[in-house]
Amino acid sequence: MSSTGSGTPGASDEPISPQEPAASGEQTSAPPAVEVRNISKDFGSNQALISVDLSIGQGEVVGLVGQNGSGKSTLVKVLSGVYAPEPGGRLFVSGKEVPLPLLPGQASEIGLSFVYQNLALAGGLTVLENLTLGQRIGGGWRSWAPINWLGEHRRAAAVLRRYGVRLNLDQRTGELAPVDQARLAIVRAAEDLRRYRTRTGNTHSVLVLDEPTVFLPEEDVENLFDVIRAVVAEGAGVLFISHDLVAVRSITDRVVVLRDGRVVADVPAGGYDEQALVDLIVGISARAAQNAAAEEEAHPVETALAPKEPAGAPTQGENVVVEHLAAGRLADFSFEIRAGEILGVAGLIGSGAEELPYLLFGARQASGGTLRLGGKTLDIGGLSPQRTVRERIALVPADRQVYGLSEHLALWENIVMLVEDEYYRGGVFRRGELVALAREAVDRFLIRPPQPHAVTATFSGGNQQKALLAKWLIARPRLLLLHEPTQGVDVGARRDIYRFVKSAAALDQTTVLWVTTDFGELAEVCDRVIVLSEGRQVTTLTGEELSDDAITAAALRQIREVR
Amino acid sequence: MSAPHGAAAPTDTEGQQQEPEQARPSVIRRLGLQRYAILIVFAAMIIAFGADIPGTFLSIGNLSNILGGQAVLFILVMAVILPTIMGDFVDLSLGSSLGLSAMTLAVLNVQHHTNVVVACVAGIGAAVVVGLVNVFFVVYFDNDPFIVTLGVMTIVQGIIYIISGNNSVGIVSTNLSDWVFNNSFLQIPLEFYYGLAIFLVVWYVLSFTPVGQRALVIGQSREVARLTGVRVNRARSWAFILGAAIAGIAGIAYAGTNGTVDPTAGSSLILPAYAAVFLGATAIKPGRINALGALIAVYFLAAGTAGLQLLGAANYIQQIFYGAALVAAVTIPKANRDRIFKKRRAA
Repeated sequence: MSSTGSGTPGASDEPISPQEPAASGEQTSAPPAVEVRNISKDFGSNQALISVDLSIGQGEVVGLVGQNGSGKSTLVKVLSGVYAPEPGGRLFVSGKEVPLPLLPGQASEIGLSFVYQNLALAGGLTVLENLTLGQRIGGGWRSWAPINWLGEHRRAAAVLRRYGVRLNLDQRTGELAPVDQARLAIVRAAEDLRRYRTRTGNTHSVLVLDEPTVFLPEEDVENLFDVIRAVVAEGAGVLFISHDLVAVRSITDRVVVLRDGRVVADVPAGGYDEQALVDLIVGISARAAQNAAAEEEAHPVETALAPKEPAGAPTQGENVVVEHLAAGRLADFSFEIRAGEILGVAGLIGSGAEELPYLLFGARQASGGTLRLGGKTLDIGGLSPQRTVRERIALVPADRQVYGLSEHLALWENIVMLVEDEYYRGGVFRRGELVALAREAVDRFLIRPPQPHAVTATFSGGNQQKALLAKWLIARPRLLLLHEPTQGVDVGARRDIYRFVKSAAALDQTTVLWVTTDFGELAEVCDRVIVLSEGRQVTTLTGEELSDDAITAAALRQIREVR
Repeated sequence: MSAPHGAAAPTDTEGQQQEPEQARPSVIRRLGLQRYAILIVFAAMIIAFGADIPGTFLSIGNLSNILGGQAVLFILVMAVILPTIMGDFVDLSLGSSLGLSAMTLAVLNVQHHTNVVVACVAGIGAAVVVGLVNVFFVVYFDNDPFIVTLGVMTIVQGIIYIISGNNSVGIVSTNLSDWVFNNSFLQIPLEFYYGLAIFLVVWYVLSFTPVGQRALVIGQSREVARLTGVRVNRARSWAFILGAAIAGIAGIAYAGTNGTVDPTAGSSLILPAYAAVFLGATAIKPGRINALGALIAVYFLAAGTAGLQLLGAANYIQQIFYGAALVAAVTIPKANRDRIFKKRRAA
């Protein structure tokens, strides 16, 4: 294995010297179908990829694993032409060099095909229409030629048979089970590759699968693997990206581990057990030390600035108790958050953690459960946003452009949205006072530029997110629900957001639920973290135990236990 | 206002600040230009017509004609604003609600000799029923408002033909005509003041109350409103119902103005009403549908048409003028902006 990286379990974070450029000699003597060398990608000061080498042989399945933010998706985006890598990176297809960066759409012309987590299927179209979608693009006179649907039907049926997939070609794709949708997406991608091979006469092609199994139950994963094996049997290489180490070990020939943008291991799949892989993925992190340094600069910020206290508002915070919550993946889930505590909920995508804030806010319907807030007990199944806002529960949703802020309104209009009624007295809307309130919020939440009258869409992501937080915090919430509150936010704004939430918890005794897939963030801000998998809570981490690596290890280990 | 101790995060604020600052001059220029563009063109138009035909255009009679003659459209515009501002961009059935209200009034009053006040109430009631049907299918079943109100419009039009026997019905009680059209205050027919009163209420609620602010958020981002605890569907329902009721009032004004009610009354008014609303959205608060802008737009269009007609243009010039003004009003600011942006990119 000349291509094995220098990483071994527990290896330090020393930079790894570029590998020998010679072919990553699998058993085949042919050049690898796709090989990248020395790929780096910087986002400002953040190095997402550092001199990454990777090769995928013909008929080989390579697993790519690593934590969130380790660079997996950046690497995929370099391969698909979304990102341009730093100069010096090289790409070889079947031994021939292809200049980087790739143009968007160029990937399909060099024999690469991608299946992403969202599958890119049009739910309203039939299976047949989705399957043949790739042949409909491209211009010229062929766009005007009649489509022979009977012939297409026959050919598509033959294609599905070849991969051992049984589907009704006339069914609407949206009605298919998730696993069948995934199989359809893979068959379509594989078919595109096969047509590429026949069209060009090349023998190489690579199918990239980005987290295809996250939403699938175990028995369906096996079905999916049958399709992948059929694809490999035709001679295509496969790059299989997943958190699911059991799946990775059972389908791949070789596993590449990324950590902090570097390849730390490139090993045969059979050679390592799951625990060893987890150790490779997590490594030894210096983040704990950084966190301590960041802690020092944090001063509490007075976040509650609405001058008028709503009637009967408690000065002390209240405990929140959730019992027997049931909805979708979550079954009989119970937990408690103490007043002023920041509780983190961790889980990989599909674990059910990401549903939690929306369920407790009533934005999505739960099938049952109770929420005890102070003296009151609410039925979670019957919650609506109107109800929860009256109970002063706040939700900072992940997709701020769709759910959080109205982009075309002025910033001040967004900030004061929840307290407007208090400023309508004697038939007069106290607009001036509202703007003054918003101005104060802009000052206190460090929103730049400090122009409350500017249109919300003109602010940067970080400042929009601060405004969204301000909108809810000036309404003095009793329970603050956060989902991915620092998604797409720069480092400076991220620090500010941590500080604001911690201040609300410390000074106002606000109870906080923080859900994110950024486990380092949870380790930094939360008092306690519970880890969810498959809708069940398995681990609780507090105090000393709290670290990015501990949470990641717990989340990964759970998948193994559940499967 | 104690500024937080930790001062602004030092490094990245600069970068963040730059972007909006670059955009600022163009925004202000655009707002400044656009906000009052219609008013400026309006003034220029009055001066031009006034210079050309001072005797007729600048007469009290013409003013009365413009203000009074467009009152029905003006009231209908206030009806159109309500669902539109909530993001239900078309309620096509409002025109037929107007027609149904007018025809109900006329049939009851003329053919069944019902008391005119009762007939008026019945007319408005009939329009409200149309609004409720819209609510049922658009809000309750979450259908596309365009499709539903297209269907409802067609159905109501059919009902109007049935109850009228496909004939014009008249003449309605002169009492009504007196109170709507014949009597005037300051030489302007009373119906103008009814429209003005409705405008003042709509304007106040939409611009100066939290209710109006919520309506705006619903229209701009329905999901944000829902997740902020706004009762989105209740507000949309009220918009459809009150819109229909105001359209019903417009129907009464129509009957009072014309004396006889034509079965096709509403269908010819609904598109000019939408033209005024969207044209109004380019003024005062650009990009937002607003009552004051709509008021200006209605009378801008009316004055323009009246002037052209006084110069000898045929009646149908109205349609061309309305359509051209609408398309020009939404296009000109964009053409401007793109040119500015291209220049900047090249620089």
